[in-house]
Amino acid sequence: MTANIETLNLTRTYETYKKPEGLLKSVQGLWARKIEKKIALHPTTLRIDSGQIVGLVGSNGAGKTTLLKVLSGLIHPSAGTAEVLGYKPTSRDPEFLRRISILLGQKNQLWWDLPPADSYDLLARIYEIELPTARERVRELSQLLQCTEQLHIQLRRLSLGERMKMEIIGALLHQPDVLFLDEPTIGLDIIAQTTIRNFLMKYVKERRPTVILTSHYMDDISLLADRLLLMSQGRIVYDGTVNEFAGRSESRQTLSLKILQPPTRDVQILDHFVVAAGSLAIKEELPASAIGDVLQALMAMSAVQEIKIEEVEFEDVIRSFMEKDARLRAPGGAAAARV
Amino acid sequence: MLGCARLAVLQQLEYRFNLVADTIIQPVIVGLVEITLWLTFFASTGQSELVGFGREFYLAYAIWAAFIARLSASWMYEMQMIEDIETGTVNSILVRPISFFEYYLGQLLGYKALITVISLIAPLVICVALDLPLMVERIPLALALVFYFIVFGHIISLMIASLGFFFSRVHHLTVAKNITLWMLTGEFFPLDLAPEPLRSLLVALPFSSAAFRPVGYLTGRLPIESIYDGFISVTVGILVLAPLATLMWNAGRRRYSGTGA
Repeated sequence: MTANIETLNLTRTYETYKKPEGLLKSVQGLWARKIEKKIALHPTTLRIDSGQIVGLVGSNGAGKTTLLKVLSGLIHPSAGTAEVLGYKPTSRDPEFLRRISILLGQKNQLWWDLPPADSYDLLARIYEIELPTARERVRELSQLLQCTEQLHIQLRRLSLGERMKMEIIGALLHQPDVLFLDEPTIGLDIIAQTTIRNFLMKYVKERRPTVILTSHYMDDISLLADRLLLMSQGRIVYDGTVNEFAGRSESRQTLSLKILQPPTRDVQILDHFVVAAGSLAIKEELPASAIGDVLQALMAMSAVQEIKIEEVEFEDVIRSFMEKDARLRAPGGAAAARV
Repeated sequence: MLGCARLAVLQQLEYRFNLVADTIIQPVIVGLVEITLWLTFFASTGQSELVGFGREFYLAYAIWAAFIARLSASWMYEMQMIEDIETGTVNSILVRPISFFEYYLGQLLGYKALITVISLIAPLVICVALDLPLMVERIPLALALVFYFIVFGHIISLMIASLGFFFSRVHHLTVAKNITLWMLTGEFFPLDLAPEPLRSLLVALPFSSAAFRPVGYLTGRLPIESIYDGFISVTVGILVLAPLATLMWNAGRRRYSGTGA
């Protein structure tokens, strides 16, 4: 497989101005400002093959959007190199820009004062697409996204979900080979999320673009991505398939049960699991390997009325992984100790 | 670029009331204010002529200067360019195969073409109604110089907008530039009224092509050579400022952090 995206020690540092509170400090800030440097992206080496769909996951400020912005040529890296489709993104080669697309879920990219249909006509001119071809693509995409009725209404008058559908059409109109999707479902209701998710699933299956997708909704990632990159504090802390990740992470399950005789005092079952006096309903997330022992202990304590054991959500697995990583990187953590 | 010009026209046509206020009400009010000033001047001094031209010439100058200077101004799109950079909206242009300069120049020219078509009627009607000096056959060449100046003005706008990459807010620089141009272009008073050597300097600068040269030519105050000189002066201005604007833009882009997205 050929690499569509390659980075070598790609790094980005931001400068921020910190102003202490107060009028005097504001006046002092006119000539002396305290500039701080923050590394948003630590040296990152990455290879993404043609047609791969990569889910980029991490908490706010983890460096996901910075990585997308560097790869799409929006911002310059502070160090290292990036190549996308054989081009250096910051060169803004028109041929490169014709082959990529970036959708920023929290930012409008179509024209606020115009109906989307007019914006698409302009995009067709910018991307040098024949107008009838562009209009046919808009018709097809809008049917799939169920938004044909809104094509001729000013963008500003559309709902958030409708606007996002229009943005997606705008991002796909020139049929990019590489697609950067930054939070495409953020803030949308469950119906709009599902429509967009299903649409993207169908689209990437049919057209096979290379996709990097960031999302806070793990359903987006688990349904669409075949490779997972977890980012934390500007570093990639996991790179593998979604399934491998779920398998590699310690398997956890949620145990829910109702007991008939509540304990008269607190009962310690495991190190971090105590059944409080008077409890009739118990719910606890536990390592899968401990479920048998815990159940045995609880049944010895009281007759059990109802038992439910559920797999922990993918989102919770990631959260637990990230929390563990943050603990390791915290001052005094294992990562710090290694340095 | 034609697509961007079309976009600007479509956007303006979306808001009818604003369009009328922008293209008719505003230039008429500015023209009336300037006419009042010149009428007051001639009435209070008791003079019937100033440097060889009568009252009618100055009234015609005031009316056309209000229209032409508005046409050559680029601050509306300059403000938008600054805001795009400050808020990160520029991202949507940077990821597309079109340059920021070209994108906004296209829109600026489209918008100016629209206001020319609509606004031109106002000074024409006023000049005919008041029997003021006007050479209608000179309008196309005068407008050609104004549109050429718009390209030069847009380069200055790009330079100012590029400062937005370095400083968080630069809007007030546009305001300061507008006040300076009010005098340098000859919108405020005909530049040949200034004392030497200021007069020669002001006329030689490219800014005189934004009002003084085209208006003077239209009203019979200046010969056709002044229009040719205007084209040369604006060309020199473009050749000097374009590389500087490119440097500033590229330096700004390297600093850009993609704010707001």
